[in-house]
Amino acid sequence: MKVLAIRVAIVVALLGAWEIVGRTANPLLYVPPSAAVPALGRLLARDSYPDLAEHLLLTLREILVAYALAIVAGLGCGFALGFNRLVGRAYGPILAALYAVPAVVWYPSLMLFFGLDAASKIAFGFLLGFFPITLAVLAGIRQVSPQMLVVARAFGADGLTAFRKVTLPAMLFTLVGGLRTGLALTVIGVIVGEILGSKSGMGSLINHAYGLFRTADYIALVVVTLVLIVGSDALASAVEHRAQRWTD
Amino acid sequence: MDRLTPRVRVVQVLSVTALLLAWEGVARAGWVDPLFVPAPSAVLRAFGRIGGAALAGLGDTLLKTAIAYVLAVVIGVGGGILLGSVRPLRQAVNPFVIALYGMPKILVLPWIVLFLGFGATPAVVYATIHGVFPILVLVTGAVRDVDRTLVTVARAFGARRWQLYWKVVLPAIVPTVLAGMRLGVVFCLLGVLVVEMFAGVRGMGYVLSSLANGFRAPELFAATALVSAASIVIVLSLDVLNDRLSQWRGEPR
Repeated sequence: MKVLAIRVAIVVALLGAWEIVGRTANPLLYVPPSAAVPALGRLLARDSYPDLAEHLLLTLREILVAYALAIVAGLGCGFALGFNRLVGRAYGPILAALYAVPAVVWYPSLMLFFGLDAASKIAFGFLLGFFPITLAVLAGIRQVSPQMLVVARAFGADGLTAFRKVTLPAMLFTLVGGLRTGLALTVIGVIVGEILGSKSGMGSLINHAYGLFRTADYIALVVVTLVLIVGSDALASAVEHRAQRWTD
Repeated sequence: MDRLTPRVRVVQVLSVTALLLAWEGVARAGWVDPLFVPAPSAVLRAFGRIGGAALAGLGDTLLKTAIAYVLAVVIGVGGGILLGSVRPLRQAVNPFVIALYGMPKILVLPWIVLFLGFGATPAVVYATIHGVFPILVLVTGAVRDVDRTLVTVARAFGARRWQLYWKVVLPAIVPTVLAGMRLGVVFCLLGVLVVEMFAGVRGMGYVLSSLANGFRAPELFAATALVSAASIVIVLSLDVLNDRLSQWRGEPR
């Protein structure tokens, strides 16, 4: 209770300080809350950006397509690498080395290849989401105890049954964690892609507001985008908890 | 090293070679547009053309990354020790730290650029913000979870506060600090590259995006390969350092 009060006090103090500094220094640059809140109202009333809904939907669509592709490719790649020892030992380190490269270096090539439209954002979101999913599958497979598999086989379970009854439950928690990280990174990938160069989507609106020095609108757009991000993560977190309950 | 190892190497070398040869073949046969997918041999020749400029850009980027990295490590480790050892402070502030860690920093990048303009400063600031959070979060957790018995015993033997930190807390958190530093360096490099792409006038991110805008695919691929190689080398050398240090600490590997 006391902790909560302190947290609220911190937020209030920060907002108050921001308001004071913003007003005295440069309201256009600092955008005090008293300027940001009306801007958010105007944005939600379709006043400042009437086509907000279309851009938001486009960003959502890009995220969904990229995530679906990342799941399919990540699971496929992960299981292919995880179930074959030679393949896994050969390509695992290559994958890990590629994961050490800051992903944004690939983005200019993707933009050149896929153009300024949705395809390059989908490709970048896919790329970011693909790695954690693949690595989670690999880590999950390593967690499955070989003895359990032997026992299952000894009791006459065929390959598919053993996978369904032993492997999947044992790795589920790690797998779901990877899927959640994958979603978060896909969302970031799409938004980074849009901000670095696009004609539509939330990132393009943010860039538009920033370019015209409409800082209050920029803050409002960031808030809306944050709601999208936090919402998607809350959804993933709920799924993760369900999976956790199921394995317990 | 078991009997699989040589076969693993063979598979690795063979598949990379096969991939490059297939790519070269496809490009030469004209199945892909060389404007977008240049052959590996063309990329190799492009290295010569961009060599000097790309190396200068890479140097610029790595310098900014190094400054941001030092700042991120100092702030992250210092802040982590503070948050980890002062319980009320941690309880009040930690949710905000976690929230900021999860938030895509790219959203505040336009604002940072408005404040700090174009050039090295926004890149260093943004990369520091990018790199500091994983380190801060990891170190806070590690300091919080230092074995209470060790602290109690040290206290019982009359250790002063600085001795407690120097002899008990610091050695206990070294592995976490190293893990955080390994994560942080990629985050810092990523941050610098993003700023250079967004609002750069120099550096590798700027080189990459201007090559893409100019549709110079061979040069773009060569430059991408150069940055990738540089970051792989940096991360692998941190890994080697990490291994050395944990051997020196006498940990089982």
